[in-house]
Order: sequence, then C-alpha cells, then structure tokens
Amino acid sequence: MTRGVTRRPLLGLVIPAAVAVLFIALPLIGLLVHVDWSNLPSQLVSTDVLTALRLSIECSLIAVAIALVIGVPLAYLLARTSLPARRVIRGLVTLPLVLPPVVGGIALQAALGRTTPIGTVLDHFGIVLPFSTAGAAIAEAFVGFPFLVITVEAGLRQRDDHFEEVAATLGARPWRRFWRVTLPLAAPSIAAGAALCWARALGEFGATITFAGSFPGTTETLPIAAYSSFEGSGQIGEAITLSLLLLAISVLVLVVLRDRWLGALR
Amino acid sequence: MTLHAQVRTQLGSLRLDCDLSVESDVTVAVLGPNGAGKTTLLRVVAGLTPVDEGRVEVDGTVFEDTATRTWLTPEARRVGFVFQDHGLFPHLSVLDNVAFGLRARGVDRATAHARANEWLERVDLTRHVASRPSALSAGESQRAALARALVTDPEVLLLDEPLAAVDASGRLELRRALRRHLATFTGVRLVVTHDPLEAASLAERVVVLEDGRITQEGPFTEVSSRPRSAWIARMAGLNLLRGVVSDGTMVVDDGSGLTVATGIQGPALATIQPRAVALYRQAPEGSPRNVLRCMVTGVDPEGDRWRIRLEGPFPLVAEVTPAAAAELRLAEGGEVFAVVKATEVDVYAL
Repeated sequence: MTRGVTRRPLLGLVIPAAVAVLFIALPLIGLLVHVDWSNLPSQLVSTDVLTALRLSIECSLIAVAIALVIGVPLAYLLARTSLPARRVIRGLVTLPLVLPPVVGGIALQAALGRTTPIGTVLDHFGIVLPFSTAGAAIAEAFVGFPFLVITVEAGLRQRDDHFEEVAATLGARPWRRFWRVTLPLAAPSIAAGAALCWARALGEFGATITFAGSFPGTTETLPIAAYSSFEGSGQIGEAITLSLLLLAISVLVLVVLRDRWLGALR
Repeated sequence: MTLHAQVRTQLGSLRLDCDLSVESDVTVAVLGPNGAGKTTLLRVVAGLTPVDEGRVEVDGTVFEDTATRTWLTPEARRVGFVFQDHGLFPHLSVLDNVAFGLRARGVDRATAHARANEWLERVDLTRHVASRPSALSAGESQRAALARALVTDPEVLLLDEPLAAVDASGRLELRRALRRHLATFTGVRLVVTHDPLEAASLAERVVVLEDGRITQEGPFTEVSSRPRSAWIARMAGLNLLRGVVSDGTMVVDDGSGLTVATGIQGPALATIQPRAVALYRQAPEGSPRNVLRCMVTGVDPEGDRWRIRLEGPFPLVAEVTPAAAAELRLAEGGEVFAVVKATEVDVYAL
C-alpha cells in the first residue's frame, strides 16, 4: 500500500518534520561533539562529580520512596473507588506536571519554610527542610510523584476488580486481597511509574534549587552542579561531563521503559 | 444442606426476581438465555452483588437478609465459585492458586501446599503444579479452578458456564470429569449454563431462568417435554433420554429399549430432535427403526410446526406440519405410532 495516493508524503510537511528531528538531535549531537573524551574518565571520577552523583542518587531514591508510600495508595483510591472529589484530586495531582518547577519550590518554601507554622513545629523537633538534603528530596518528590500516580492509576484501570472478587470468594479479607492480588498484579505499572518518577527526580532542578539551594555535598545534585560549574567558571567542560552522565541515565531509563511506559500511559 | 435464595434486585435494565431452593442431594442447573440474570444470581449467593431486597440462607446461616440488614462479606461465606473465565491468578503458580483459599483462611503454608497437591492429583494436574495459569489449556485451567474452589471444603459450589471456555473437542471429556467431581461433592451444587445439553448432563434438576424470573423447574426430561416458554421449547425442546447403551441398544431408565446407531457402551444421554420423530396411524414396517406405541397427551400449535406431546414407553415430543397433524387426526387421547430412525438418535457418553 506504500504506493497508495494517501501514502505519498506532502513535501510541505517533510521540511518542518525534518527540522523537528534536527531540533531534538542537534543539541544532543553538540553535547557529544564537545565531550573531552580523553579527560572524561578522570573528570567522571573527580570528587566533585562523584559527590554530586551520590547526592543525586540519594535524593532521587528518597523521592521515589516517598512517592511510592503516598502515591500508590492515592492511585489505588483514584482507580478503584468513587472518591467524591476524584476529578479535583486527579487535577491537583497532575498539576506539578505542568507547574513551573520554580513555582513548586517557592510553594514548598511558603508551606514548609522555617518561619511557617509547619516549619516552626518541625524546627521544634530539630528538623529543618529548606536548604537541606531532606528538602532536596522533598522537592524532587513533589515534582516526580505525579508520574507515579498517573502510571499506577492507568495500570490499575487496565484491570477491573475481577481478581479481587475471586480472592474474596476464596476467603481473602480486604488487606490480604490488596497485598496478595492487587499489588502484585499492579507491579509492572508500579515499576514503570517508579522509574519515571525517579528519572524526573534525578533531573529535577527548579524546585530543588529554589527550596533547597545549591550547597555542594548537601543539596547540589547533578543538574545543579552542571549548572553551577557552567555559570561559575564559564567552563563548559565539566558541565558537559555532568550533562553526559545525566543523558546516559535518561537514555537508559527510556530503553528500559520503552514498552512499559507507552503501554501504561496509553 | 439447603440453599434458600429470595432475590429481588434491579441491575441495569434487568429485574431479577426469583425464589430458589437448592438441596444438596442433587446438582441443580440454572438454565436460561444470555442476559437472563443467571450469573447475577450466582454473584448474589457469593456476596459479590448486593440485592435491593431479599434473603440468602444456607442451613440456618443467613448470608444476607435485607429485612434484618444482615450481610456477610463474600470472604465470610463458605462458597466456592468457579468463574466463567476460571479467574486463576496470573501471577501465582497453579499450586499457589489452589492453596490461596487455604492460606487466606489461616492454614500454614506447608499444610496448604500438601492439601493443594492432593487436589491437583485428584484433577490430574500434577504435571502443572509449578506452571503459571497461562501455560494451561482451557480444560486444565477449568480443573485447576474447580480444585481451588473445592479445596477449602465449601458448603456451596457455584459454577458459571463451566464449559464455555472449553472448545468442543475437549468438552465431552471435561463434562465427564466435572460430573465425577460434582458427584463426590456433598454440598449444594449450582451450575449456570445456557446449554440444555450441559444442564441435562451435569444436573439432576433444572431451573429455567428467563428475563430475571424462574419460568419452570423440575427434572430435565419434564422441563423439556413440557416446555412452558418459547425459549425453553426451542432450546431444550429436544427429547432427552438417559440410559445405558450396550451393543446398539439403549435401555432407557424406565426399562424400555431403543435402537441406536453408536459405538458407545455404558451410561449415556440420548437426544432426539422433535422433527425427527415421525408419526403414523398404523405401525409401519421396516428397520432399523424404533416404533413406539404412544398416546397423544398434548397438541401445541406453534406456527408452521406443531408440537405433539406423546406418552409412550417414555415421554416424547414430535414436531409435525399442521397438514400432517390434520391428516393424522391428532387429538389428545388418540393413539399414534412414533417412529425414530436409529441414526436420528444422538448419543452422548456420560
């Protein structure tokens, strides 16, 4: 059917489409071109890079843990019950997806800052979130957890509650049904959602820098380190190394999730 | 043991309104067209669908009573449910599927696995203990689902279209296996089906459910020979006999013989299409034919085919054209000879 008249490409569309492909590819190619391959290994293992990498992984994993603990129950309730304010809640959850991350950071600051009521209470217990590693993790969780909720909810909706009914007729009480049937069956979408959330948390910049700042070793994660080294020294070299690291991680996530991601969000 | 269910409930456009009593001494089939409310009835008994008004009780244990606002959760009812799609958990091995109900009721893992293994042996699935359900054939998955429902020793066993997911070639064998397992089960047995042959072969008593109401109930032969609705006349209105075949002769349960053309030996079910029953005023000559002296007990004009109910060695229904009925001067109480060719008798081994 490739010779069918509707399959002949419109030249007027080919050009902008080609521009689109280049638009995505050129910056990435530029990045690869500027990599100082000979010095790359030594730059990768420099203490600055390793510190930022360790911090990034720490914060993003904590963010995923937070997202799992609060996001999976929310996704379950959205998918399986008729919560009265379901539409409102779903809209609220998806808001961080479109909200400028800086706004998220400022909002977190306004809610959890040291002088706010919650901040005062936390301060009383010796907990300070702003400009701390915990704060960086919370900012990343704020931005990343909608990905988890949306993916898990979609996964739960793909199946109705038939297997939970089967489990009930076999004598399983609600909690047992949840742990032994609902969660294992949702495991693929939970894994996909967690990976997406993790990738988003790892690359988080705006909310993190606004809420947690950029203190090397405490809150300066990989993306922030890449920006600071570029800003501070005007040297693109280390920034490119850090960017390459983030790009490699992103590509890895994409490859691993290629089918799952599209499947769960469809 | 007895199950009593009085159910009045509105489900979409369907109004389910029926009173059902099922004794544990016989298997009961709920027979009816699709959308008649058969599955809903099972779901009500299992506690998966609440009713607007009604009462479900098994031997003094009230499952549900809207009058006293009593409601037992599905997990608190001792009901085994074999779903139409079998409902095997895809993430668990066959063994863990069968052991699931025991584990849920607090049996320790080792004991649960031992008892599940016993049942898997009984349904001939020992090869598949460690398999995932996706590796099973439809027949095997049905047997696994049956074992899973029975291992917890329920008071009530509910089967929803047990053979629907099985292709025709495996159905005969599976039906036989199912009969065997149903016979060993001592609780209440309720089978839902839209297939009269399945109802007749699995159950001793048939309850016809149409459009949410019970239109008829009784032994299958009675229901099929005196259908009280157009659907049952069309679907189940075939002559159905139960007996034992040996060397081309079927001895029907009431003792009379019938020549059949089959290699089957032993207990069997025979069906004869009403239109395959020819009627004569005088006994005709020739073989291999079954000639049965009968009395006409009913004439039901129904369009261009009239249904003639006959009482002979066994009850029989014939279908003739109005012209033939007139020519034969068929009337209630009159005598006719019913002739059935041996090749027109379909025999199914039990």
